[in-house]
Amino acid sequence: MTAEYEQTPQPARQPLLELKQVTKHFGGLAAVQDLDLVVYPQEIVSIIGPNGAGKTTVFNLITGIYQPTSGEILFDGQPLTKLAPHKVVERGISRTFQNIRLFNNMTVLENVLVGEHLSLKASILDAVFRPPWVKQEEEAARRRAIELLSFFGQHLVDRQDEYVINLSYADRRRVEIARALASRPKLLLLDEPTAGMNEAETMEAVHYIRRLRDELHLTILLIEHKLMVTMGISDRIAVLDYGRKIAEGLPDEIRRDERVITAYLGTAATSGRQTWQVTFRRQPEGEASNHHE
Amino acid sequence: MDFLTKTIRLIIEGLVTGSIYSLVALGYTMVYGIIELINFAHGDIFMMGTLVTLLLVTNVFHLSNASAMPLGNLLLMLVVSFLASTVICALLGVLIERVAYRPLRNAPRLAPLISAIGVSLALEDTAKAIIGPSAVTTPPLIPLVNYSWGPILLHNTDIIVLIVAVLLMVGLQWLVTSTRIGRAMRAVAQDREAAALMGVNVDQVIAFTFLVGAGIAGAGGFFFLLWSNDTSFNIGFELGLFAFTAAVLGGIGNLVGAMLGGLAIGLIRSLMALWPETPPFGLPHGGVSWQDAAVFAILILILVFRPTGLLGQQLAEKV
Amino acid sequence: MAMLVPSQILPQTGETRRLLVKWVIAFLVPVLVFTLVWSGEAMLNAALLAIFFPANFSVSTLAAGLFMLLFYGIILGLVGYLVAADSGRQGMIDLWISMFFFTVVPILLIYITANLFVGLAASVVVWVIYYYGRRLVQLFLSSPSLPPLPSLTVLDTEMRATLTTRARLGSFWFALLFSLVWLLADLLFYFTGQYGQASLLFLIWIVLRTVLLPVAGWLLGGVGGQIAVRHALQANGNGGNGDRSDTPVSTRRLRLLSATRAREEARDLVPNDLPLRSTGARNFYIWLLVALLLFYPMIDPFLFGAGTNARLDNYANAGYYVILALGLNIVVGFAGLLDLGYVAFFVIGAYTWAMVGSPQLTVLTGIRINPEIWPWLFWPMLIVAALIAALWGVLLGAPTLRLRGDYLAIVTLGFGEIIPIVVQNLDKYTNGTNGLTGIYSPAFFGVRWNVSTSEPYYYLILVLIAIVLLANVRLRDSRIGRAWVAMREDEIAAASSGINLTRTKLLAFAAGAFFSGIAGAYYAAKLSTVASGNFSFSDSVIYLAMVVLGGLGSIPGVVVGALVVYAVNVLVLPQLDALGNDPTSIIYPIYTHILQVIPNFSFSNIRNLIFGIILVVLMIFRPEGLIPSTRRRRELHRAEFEGAEITSLDTPPGAPGFESEIHVE
Ligand SMILES: Nc1ncnc2c1ncn2[C@@H]1O[C@H](COP(=O)(O)OP(=O)(O)OP(=O)(O)O)[C@@H](O)[C@H]1O
Ligand SMILES: [Mg+2]
Repeated sequence: MTAEYEQTPQPARQPLLELKQVTKHFGGLAAVQDLDLVVYPQEIVSIIGPNGAGKTTVFNLITGIYQPTSGEILFDGQPLTKLAPHKVVERGISRTFQNIRLFNNMTVLENVLVGEHLSLKASILDAVFRPPWVKQEEEAARRRAIELLSFFGQHLVDRQDEYVINLSYADRRRVEIARALASRPKLLLLDEPTAGMNEAETMEAVHYIRRLRDELHLTILLIEHKLMVTMGISDRIAVLDYGRKIAEGLPDEIRRDERVITAYLGTAATSGRQTWQVTFRRQPEGEASNHHE
Repeated sequence: MDFLTKTIRLIIEGLVTGSIYSLVALGYTMVYGIIELINFAHGDIFMMGTLVTLLLVTNVFHLSNASAMPLGNLLLMLVVSFLASTVICALLGVLIERVAYRPLRNAPRLAPLISAIGVSLALEDTAKAIIGPSAVTTPPLIPLVNYSWGPILLHNTDIIVLIVAVLLMVGLQWLVTSTRIGRAMRAVAQDREAAALMGVNVDQVIAFTFLVGAGIAGAGGFFFLLWSNDTSFNIGFELGLFAFTAAVLGGIGNLVGAMLGGLAIGLIRSLMALWPETPPFGLPHGGVSWQDAAVFAILILILVFRPTGLLGQQLAEKV
Repeated sequence: MAMLVPSQILPQTGETRRLLVKWVIAFLVPVLVFTLVWSGEAMLNAALLAIFFPANFSVSTLAAGLFMLLFYGIILGLVGYLVAADSGRQGMIDLWISMFFFTVVPILLIYITANLFVGLAASVVVWVIYYYGRRLVQLFLSSPSLPPLPSLTVLDTEMRATLTTRARLGSFWFALLFSLVWLLADLLFYFTGQYGQASLLFLIWIVLRTVLLPVAGWLLGGVGGQIAVRHALQANGNGGNGDRSDTPVSTRRLRLLSATRAREEARDLVPNDLPLRSTGARNFYIWLLVALLLFYPMIDPFLFGAGTNARLDNYANAGYYVILALGLNIVVGFAGLLDLGYVAFFVIGAYTWAMVGSPQLTVLTGIRINPEIWPWLFWPMLIVAALIAALWGVLLGAPTLRLRGDYLAIVTLGFGEIIPIVVQNLDKYTNGTNGLTGIYSPAFFGVRWNVSTSEPYYYLILVLIAIVLLANVRLRDSRIGRAWVAMREDEIAAASSGINLTRTKLLAFAAGAFFSGIAGAYYAAKLSTVASGNFSFSDSVIYLAMVVLGGLGSIPGVVVGALVVYAVNVLVLPQLDALGNDPTSIIYPIYTHILQVIPNFSFSNIRNLIFGIILVVLMIFRPEGLIPSTRRRRELHRAEFEGAEITSLDTPPGAPGFESEIHVE
């Protein structure tokens, strides 16, 4: 990947997101343990790790869907602890889900409009009486939704009235990102944004994730199994295993890190170029076909 | 009757009606556990059980005075009507599942609910067409014997109902935990598709669930008539409501919970009679008229603090 | 005749001629039947007599005449619209048969049974038989059904002009033929001397009419054509008027959509294979319906003869069920919260007006209000009752927030049981089981309200329904409505999109309860008495049945559901006994047979049996409801769509079976 994207931004700035010694237990299971993580503005940071390492749990902790057992999460210097999910969105964090959670029976446009919920102001009375400003607000919301869709090309704009259930898998991932963008986040959490995509679509995804940072100036925290993606776009990579961070650094450092190699690729892993095309994921049977990169 | 005697008698009555609620609640809980349907018709199946017993006892055995009946005949009458109400109700349950619920297995969630309501209305009116709109009373099915020790007054019918209820519940628990079909039932309840993949015949298991649930309700109907000697076309509706509440109170899908819930509701309802007619502090009067409200108020309170009922466990909701 | 009209009036091409014949005949039959067989002409004549002979003057006959004018006007526009909007692919005979079954049959059946609901119910039975018969024939002939997408013709300006002309022609010829047949019929009447005193006037009228109708047809047909062309397909993009919500879809976009979605869109487009079902045509139906509803009290005597008051009373009662169903639809249909105790809010609304609008107020507070002014309080109290109910909606909703699915249902059920019991037991205030009587009717300028005239209530409920409908539609299409549906679809995703679940749920409860409160206050005022025994769990169940039967989340569906359930339960089933005893009715032989087997059989004893069976059967055949919202329909047939559409990829990890539902990552 080209050099310009591998530069690390200056770490001297005030961090946007900061996890301090965050721990999450599910009964006896420590899904996340003593995790420290810092994300600076306009960085792309990846979290990698094998299945069940606790990556998604980290996202759930940040977005308020789970509360940490201990530790602290700061966003923009303010603690996020105990905030309900919608409050976290209000602060400027939005996310996508590993298993795409779109509103399947709504159209593409409606899905994005739901994402704009927070930026719209109409109360229930305004909705009933619909004064002119509400009409304008709705119009503006629609325009903005279409703008967001056009970020992914005319293709989705044309399909704005399609029900998401009828979209291809890759398109659904895009709509989910558009919905997340609609709440005007500063930090975007993407949970395996290329899972289930073929190679061409993955390349395209890599491209638009970069554009999210470069054009929309977003900060991105990314979970990804495909090395092709993580190595290509990350400024930094953190590696989780059994809930603990076992390594962190520049893509090149991670690539060479012995612990990472042994922990994830086992003895079969050689340092050959080939291997890096494979994913970190220990693949379950049925899914293998999705990941022939 | 002094206060103590009255209280003890109320507790006993509460336990007896409670165990009948429990029997009916079992059917709700089983069906809910397996297909997530509030089977509104279940209470009416119970009512059909009382109806079958009633018709057999009055029209076939011409019961007028149980103590004057030869013991052989009496036993025959009891055994036949018990078996008949159990079997007929069990088959009715299966039939209803086949006709009204199975076609809707993949329909939106509320469609089977409305279908169940339809079945419930239909059953009630069928009963009304048979026995008329008012309550019907039978002579006692067995000669009534009273036992009293100090403040405790027990009828033999109380004892029979309690014992039978316990037996049925233990039997059901055994069925569900220790038999092949019971395992299949639990498997289907957990994950229907996975169970089907493992070779479980899902349709059969669901039908069996209805068979057992409705059978128990039918048996419950028999014992209810034995105990109370009266029935009407709409007892199933109200009793079903309480039984369903019991199932929820105990934690829906949980058999032991359903039993506990039933007993709790039986006790709450009967103990409300202790509320004084002219209470102090300007509190509202008339305990009996508040008993249903009390049941639901307590239910709501419990659910507010334990959203999955007394014994229901939180599904591990992973996000 | 053809010589007299300018050549432009003659259809130019064979294609146009075919279209004209098709639509003119399709409409001629039902309109003639309505006009000549049933009451159309009677209404007009009565209105004429009222104008010219002051002795016959009455506002209501004039109104009936006015209705007929509107009726013909709308029909003329509709014919124009259809001629322009038709792509011509549906067969002529096919259309005529359909039109016969869906218009002439109900008109005749209602006329024969002299009862709107029995007639409609009978028509529904005929329709079902027709529908299945048609399917059988189609299977037998294995005639290919029309492809989902219409012929995607892009219309240029010239084409548009042609279509408009075509519409004019269609409407003109329809009007011409119609007026000629009518003229002939009336001339027969005239020469057989049926019209005594008015004969000359009558002659003038029928001649005038024959001349005016074609002219009106020409003009109104043009309007219909204009409307049709507005929905025409455009070459590309959103065109100039990008800010309109009903912007025509471009060809390109339509081709990109999946087949199902395209079919939905295609209904709105012109030209189109099934113009009768298009959105444009639907607007005409709505206008017809509005005219009918507004003028109904005046035309009812012409349609069904004596007994208008009782019928209006029934409709005025049916109305509050519509409001209830619409309110419950917000909670259950939009927000997906199963509410089994909805009756509670109805009780609260009813008792609010009952306690303020009856002598009970004086008993309780000692306040005396001038009986002239008292009824006026109804209007502010209508809002107050609704607000109180909404407040209770929030109060009762609050404890349920943490509950899921059916636990929620049982708590709402509990409240539905408790509230009437509380009302009953607080007899100091509510007079317990005896209830409150002497509740005031509303008052309004120039309207005489009392319990025995139903007309004011009919209009009142019409207005209330209109307001509630409007509010519902607006809520559905607003930010709040989207939040409700999003929450129903996926709470976690909704919360992660910034939706405050607590607030949104409470808003749903409050909005639902608000409308229930309106219905309650109306109920108390209309009945002038309330008693706690009249409200029970079974009422909640009936409301739920209305919503589910009509189509969860679908506003038109819910309205229809409420009317159907009310009609079946209150209007049709109670009539069965009377019908059974009537030797001329269809069910008389069945009834007498049953009587031979079961001596004291009566339908009223098995009303719920029949109703229950209807519920089960309807659910089995239409689990998604009578008029499903498009969303629901898809939920139901998802598998089918999945197979049809997924284009390039793989099994998505989100698909069922990949990971269990709750383990979403
Ligand atoms: N709600 C929960 N209750 C109990 N255990 C949970 C819950 N959520 C997650 N876990 C467990 O925590 C561990 C970490 O899960 P997590 O979903 O974070 O893994 P992951 O790194 O995202 O894996 P994958 O690559 O499969 O997405 C797993 O063992 C998982 O089963
Ligand atoms: Mg994960």
